[in-house]
Amino acid sequence: MKPAFNLLVIIPAYNEEGSVGKVVGEVKDHLPEAVVLVVNDGSVDLTSEKANAAGAKVLELPYNLGIGGAMQAGYKYALEKGYDIAIQVDGDGQHDPKEILKLLKMLEEKEVDMVIGSRFIGVSEFRSSMMRRLGISVFSKVISLIVGQRITDPTSGFRAVGRKAIQLFSSKYPQDYPEPEVLVLLHKCGFKMAETPVGMNRRYSGESSITKIRSVYYMVKVLLAIFIDCFKRGPLLKTGG
Amino acid sequence: MLVQFQIIIGMLSLVLLLITFELIRKERLREEYSILWLFTGGVTLIFSLFPEFFLSTFITRITGLYYLSAVVVIAFIFLLVIVLHFSVVISKLTDRNKELAQRHALLKLEFDELKKQVLFIRNPS
Repeated sequence: MKPAFNLLVIIPAYNEEGSVGKVVGEVKDHLPEAVVLVVNDGSVDLTSEKANAAGAKVLELPYNLGIGGAMQAGYKYALEKGYDIAIQVDGDGQHDPKEILKLLKMLEEKEVDMVIGSRFIGVSEFRSSMMRRLGISVFSKVISLIVGQRITDPTSGFRAVGRKAIQLFSSKYPQDYPEPEVLVLLHKCGFKMAETPVGMNRRYSGESSITKIRSVYYMVKVLLAIFIDCFKRGPLLKTGG
Repeated sequence: MLVQFQIIIGMLSLVLLLITFELIRKERLREEYSILWLFTGGVTLIFSLFPEFFLSTFITRITGLYYLSAVVVIAFIFLLVIVLHFSVVISKLTDRNKELAQRHALLKLEFDELKKQVLFIRNPS
């Protein structure tokens, strides 16, 4: 039987040879009907080979575009191939693939355009450094204020989006700090979003891209980018198609 | 004093104009990016040819600047405009470059899958 929706799981990966195979495998275990697309953002290691061996399709960028450009490439693929739902999962294994079902359920029940898997709703085993939690809580307050709804985890890269948002993202996706900026973009376009609690794993390998020393600098830059986003013109949306 | 500055600035703007012109002629500089440079060279050349008219009477009276500092300030403002213009151009190129990289990746995946299918049809074993 054909599933009600066709699903694409997009996994951006930059030098994640140590974890990407395992992530792809786990996603396939929990969602056998979904197609898994690994976007290799110009890795210099065996990310593509590992992903391929695990049974994923691999979109290979010729050089590193950054997380924004990589995610957008995935959304372009989703649009071109006519997927109804796209799910973003980080390639480092910090997202638990069995939680995807929760995201999907929420997307369907609440009839929203995007569901964010939040680490901070309800009971969560997620632990991270003081600085990081502080930064996320500041983003959360600012973003909540802008979009007029409570967003507890604006930097989470664990998301499910519907057809309308796929269309929007493939034509316009923020490049610099996509996770929080996307929320402002969606709000400007009048799209709806919701959050659902998810559990997280520790990273299988690799380091967070944000180190402690740079976190304050990072925070200021993201807040500035969000501030400027508030004044950007929203994209002209093509209806239908 | 003024005449020496006049000659130096006049020569410099002539050299700038000549270099710009030569670059356009050899198609190493596109016309759309050359207009600001030609304009800068042209304006400074006019300043060196008619310093009394442009500076003693008009700009000096408004800004209180002396000839050399006035020319330097004006050239500096032009340079700022040119550099800003370049930032805009680079941003545009970066964006196009990103689109191209994404399109390349999408086509490559499509191509690899088609190739696999063709090989399978030709050689099903």
